[in-house]
Amino acid sequence: MILGVAVATAMIAVGVDVGDKINRELRSYGANIVVYPEDAALDVRVGDQHIKPASGGAHLKESDLPRIKGIFWGHNILAFAPFLETTTEFEGHTVLVIGTYFDKQLHFGNEAFRTGVRKLYPWWKVEGGVWPDDEGGGVLIGSRLAKELHRGWEQGNLTPLGRVSGFLTTGGAEDMALVVPLAVVQKLANEPNAVDKIYVSALTKPEDAFARRDPSRMDAADHDRWYCSPYANSIAFQLQETFPGSRAEQIRQAAQNEGAVLSHISGMMLLIALASLIAAALAVSAAMATTILERRREVGLMKSLGATATTIASLFVTEASLLAIVAGLVGFALGSVIAQRIGHAIFHSGVEITPALLPIVIFLALLVTIGGSAAAIRRALRLDPVVVLRGDA
Amino acid sequence: MSLRRSMFLHLLRRGLLGRGNRPLIAFIALTVAATMITAMLSLYYGLESKLNRDFRAYGANVTVAAPEGNVLPADALENAQHVLPSGSLVVPFAFAIAHASDGSAVVVAGTDFSKLQSLDKWWLVSKWATKDNESIVGVKAEPHISFANGGFDLNFSGRTFHLIEATTVKTGAEEENRIYVSLPAFERWTGVQPSLLEISVPGAREQVNSAIQKLQTAFPAMQVRPVRQLLEAQGAVITRMRSVMLASTLLITLTVALCVFSTLTSSVLERRRDFAVMKAIGSSQGTVNGIFAGEALVIALVAAFAGYLVGSGLAAWISEANFHAAVSPRIGVLPLVIACSVALAVLAALLPLAQLQRIEPAGILKGE
Repeated sequence: MILGVAVATAMIAVGVDVGDKINRELRSYGANIVVYPEDAALDVRVGDQHIKPASGGAHLKESDLPRIKGIFWGHNILAFAPFLETTTEFEGHTVLVIGTYFDKQLHFGNEAFRTGVRKLYPWWKVEGGVWPDDEGGGVLIGSRLAKELHRGWEQGNLTPLGRVSGFLTTGGAEDMALVVPLAVVQKLANEPNAVDKIYVSALTKPEDAFARRDPSRMDAADHDRWYCSPYANSIAFQLQETFPGSRAEQIRQAAQNEGAVLSHISGMMLLIALASLIAAALAVSAAMATTILERRREVGLMKSLGATATTIASLFVTEASLLAIVAGLVGFALGSVIAQRIGHAIFHSGVEITPALLPIVIFLALLVTIGGSAAAIRRALRLDPVVVLRGDA
Repeated sequence: MSLRRSMFLHLLRRGLLGRGNRPLIAFIALTVAATMITAMLSLYYGLESKLNRDFRAYGANVTVAAPEGNVLPADALENAQHVLPSGSLVVPFAFAIAHASDGSAVVVAGTDFSKLQSLDKWWLVSKWATKDNESIVGVKAEPHISFANGGFDLNFSGRTFHLIEATTVKTGAEEENRIYVSLPAFERWTGVQPSLLEISVPGAREQVNSAIQKLQTAFPAMQVRPVRQLLEAQGAVITRMRSVMLASTLLITLTVALCVFSTLTSSVLERRRDFAVMKAIGSSQGTVNGIFAGEALVIALVAAFAGYLVGSGLAAWISEANFHAAVSPRIGVLPLVIACSVALAVLAALLPLAQLQRIEPAGILKGE
């Protein structure tokens, strides 16, 4: 009984929390929101070919970046990284230079945090060296670019942009580019404080019909509700407010598809929790049935001493309820421990147990116990006391 | 048939059918256990393929690109489809930089719309282009084109192409800067061949990796690359979910087994008088064990089959409700379910008997 409740608690707790955990795992896919200047020039780029720098004049301000953490859903922003691109002559080739944060320390108010591509794009790999330092400089040479230049670059070699830190493999355009700290590109392009694009990775809620509505056509109450829900669209809207003259969009490939994965996983865990609850209920009711049948002599004795069916039934129901409440409490505690263990073992972080779960668990335990013993009690009441006491039943 | 054997069978039949609904409780308890084991195992095995399917919706997981300035061999598309497992989706892309009527440069891509439609389902379009002169215009490219005669003109090295806009596309990524037209029309207009294949290979990481190897052998001069962020996220989520499912399967199975075990044990203990009478009239411990274990075995077998059926149904229902695609019943689960429920039932019958053995039959019959 206690075990049943414990497992049901653990399953519900894990089921409720698994969505959030998987959401974080999914964020290893990279950014799901992009912020860019409203009047950015058309990007003319095919694969590694790049006709002209992404934006002509318009830029965002680097000094505004820490304010990302100050938006309503700031705590849902897991990582972000700014990008500024330009081209330079390098070894007789015109190559793309990408400036960004690697693992930069930023301050917003009293809060200090670190962000950059290492957090945003966990699949970026540096070989033959280390990550550059955002303040101290360093150059990552794209792995394909290094191969095409046919020069035996090594960590520590001096380039016009700084010393080589290592070689970067991403599977994307960065493999054919030089990746350096943002400040280096700002100096090279003579664009102080400028940023072309900001990629943001945020924990979001799967999109539903309400999320897709146009915020400018909502009434005040709906708008508040929309604004205060962590949809990709509303977080993008808040980012857009943070940067004057910017546009923020969800990256549909990431945002749309992770919603499907997430809702499927959490939906399945809840269904499993439900199924395990029903199974626990059946198992408990079988156990209750045997214990009550075992006590049929007691029932016979009570009946022959003049107890009414109501008295006997209420006796059993009270006993069952006490049992359920005790089992509910112990099971809840045990289940919380199990859920924590699962969380730590699998996701390396604890599972949040809401106290609101306790009354639900106890209510369910009561329901299961009383419901499960009802049939057995009815049968025990129908027994003829004479037959039972004689020992023939 | 020896007398002994027919007596054994008689007692077995009496034990199963002549005791009212007592065996029914044991049967229900065991069926519940078998149901949960079946359902959890089926879901555990089925989950991965369902999640892999979800991740396919992200689009291509492999790309084959021609080196800069080159195009793919003419038979690349058929070749790729030939070496890839069935169910793979291969979408060709050809690129050119054309000039819009205001003189600004814009990337035009030629592709196969019907395939692109199933590859990139997340594209926000009002409808997909179908005709040769229809195009899909990125929302950022749209301000740069000017409409005339129900369409717009694009210029590629002196040749003008009059296109109709079927829809705009919103993706939040670089696609918004481009204009997409159908590949045959694109080739007639520019003479440029495809330089990129976007490929979606079904299955887990291993299948994708083997597909990459096959593509590399088929196209030694081309750049075959995995879409690493997708494979990374897919791997992370699936590994975690596998552990979560394994933990829940073990937990649920264990609990249900314990509950069932206690029910079965008490129902055997309840029959201590039968046990005592058998012993008193001279049956050996082995025979009594045989009778009780035989009963348990029959109940467990029937319960295992019933549980397998109900459990497969439950798993199918859960996955249908959740993924809109049922997991098919797995016959491989059945032996495991039978083994579990038989072990559970026989153990639950024999352990209390071993306990009773230490008491004199007379003591039990006196009611002590």
